[in-house]
Amino acid sequence: MAKRLSVLSGTVLIAVLAQTGVGQTQTISYADAATLLAKECGADVKKFCKGLNLGNGRIKNCLEQHQAKVSPACTSTMAGVIASIQLRLAAQASVDKICARDAARACRGVVPGKAHILGCLLKATRIVGAKCSQAITDAGWR
Amino acid sequence: MSIRRFRNTLALTVLLAAAGNAGSQQLSEHQLVNTLGQVAEAASAIDVAMLVQEVASNPGKGVAGLPHWSQLATLPQFFVEINFENNSVAIEPGSYRTLGLIADALHHPLLLRYKFLVVGHTNATGDAKHNLKLSARRAEAIAEALSTTFSVAPNRLFAIGAGSEMPVDAANPKAADNRRVQLLNIGLVK
Repeated sequence: MAKRLSVLSGTVLIAVLAQTGVGQTQTISYADAATLLAKECGADVKKFCKGLNLGNGRIKNCLEQHQAKVSPACTSTMAGVIASIQLRLAAQASVDKICARDAARACRGVVPGKAHILGCLLKATRIVGAKCSQAITDAGWR
Repeated sequence: MSIRRFRNTLALTVLLAAAGNAGSQQLSEHQLVNTLGQVAEAASAIDVAMLVQEVASNPGKGVAGLPHWSQLATLPQFFVEINFENNSVAIEPGSYRTLGLIADALHHPLLLRYKFLVVGHTNATGDAKHNLKLSARRAEAIAEALSTTFSVAPNRLFAIGAGSEMPVDAANPKAADNRRVQLLNIGLVK
């Protein structure tokens, strides 16, 4: 965790720290992860990876192949961005399970389906516990 | 219709230009989710293979009036700007954020059950057939980045090219505004 945070750029890090309680897992959006990557690696991508696309690990592989010349900030950001995308994916995948008990109590009679249950949980702030609430935040679904 | 859609394009471009302001980032993802979350009855009738066939058989003659392409206008959709290296499928780092924003929207519970069509558009500089091929490859590159880097399920993404056959600025087919990416909700994943 500390390692992941250390690779985020200063501004984001401050924003993250400002938002989190102590010891909470914090995730960032895919848009913010992509922005970090462009900011720290954009120049190296244009220099070393001309014609290559982001998909299928091509940019990652290209930057690794040129690691000796790629800026250290880019190398660490790349690892951080991949970790943060995985963290957000895991957070999104875990909401159903973490919130199952709260959903059963707060959302009886709600039309089935992820979107309807989420809408219910977001409204039922008195019933929804801290863990479920945090899971929704980490998933970026607030 | 086209004026309303064009305004959407501008709105998103303006919001993205204001990157760094958390409020406007939030708003644009919500905008994507809300616009693409509306379901159109016509969505289930969209036949991607027929769209490809129609546009390939009429290079240079436009697609807006063709039977399958004309149905697209009735679907919930969004236009975004994604920039590529010249004559290449490589997405410019400056457009990574837009890809991430689309990924945020596609991972939202409101859109999880739906599949999406990515349509690439070019301006009219150059040969119509070449533009068609390039726009299809670029749309595929976007779908690939979404389904690999950003883990959107590949069965939710379809990519086709429209070349320069559907300019947003028909009076100025060579205008840069015509180079854009169209994102449409094409109904439930089966």
